[in-house]
Amino acid sequence: MKNNVKITRIKASITQEQLARKVGVTRQTIGLIEKGEYNPSLQLCVAIAKELNRTLDELFWEVD
Amino acid sequence: MKSWISFLLPDDEYKNIKMLYFFSEGAILLFLSLVVMLIGNKSFQFGTETILLVAIGIFLLYVSGRYIISGIEYTDISTERAYRKELKATIIKVIGFVVIFLTVYLLLMGAPTSLNQWFEIGGLLISVSIVKFLSTYVSLKRSYQKNKELL
Repeated sequence: MKNNVKITRIKASITQEQLARKVGVTRQTIGLIEKGEYNPSLQLCVAIAKELNRTLDELFWEVD
Repeated sequence: MKSWISFLLPDDEYKNIKMLYFFSEGAILLFLSLVVMLIGNKSFQFGTETILLVAIGIFLLYVSGRYIISGIEYTDISTERAYRKELKATIIKVIGFVVIFLTVYLLLMGAPTSLNQWFEIGGLLISVSIVKFLSTYVSLKRSYQKNKELL
């Protein structure tokens, strides 16, 4: 599933490792989500959205 | 989701799901191998010990093999420097294992009295060390490659 996590994270000047630590997963999992190779649980989506100060729509809804 | 198997699973949700897949696939392979052995037992008469060892071996080799090849063990190794550092740590751990095992063995069992016993203990140590090093090396290499692509 394509998403806006990577671009939003970079704009917020947060590294994959920092985001991973804040939401309680590994850096590899964040990388896989950003590449669209892993669909996270709703709980993790919410945690990422909160950390990046975005809504779920902005991060995960209908990305081309 | 609560299950008694949770204590065997990692906290990270991606690793958690992957491990569940590996355990499930291993369990299905184990079941199929037992069915094959049950049918084959009428013609070949496998011993109970053989059947049990093969069954345990299939499950353990499959689950650990999939885990090693999947590259999910070293989730933070994404640079050449970190990779080299971890590889060095692995070599030290293997050497440490050999030294500790040999020391404990000599203290508890005493020094081997014949050349044959030395070969036995040496062979065991070399085999275990090679398996330990190779499994760690492959897992580390796969993890590094996977993590590099995700940067």
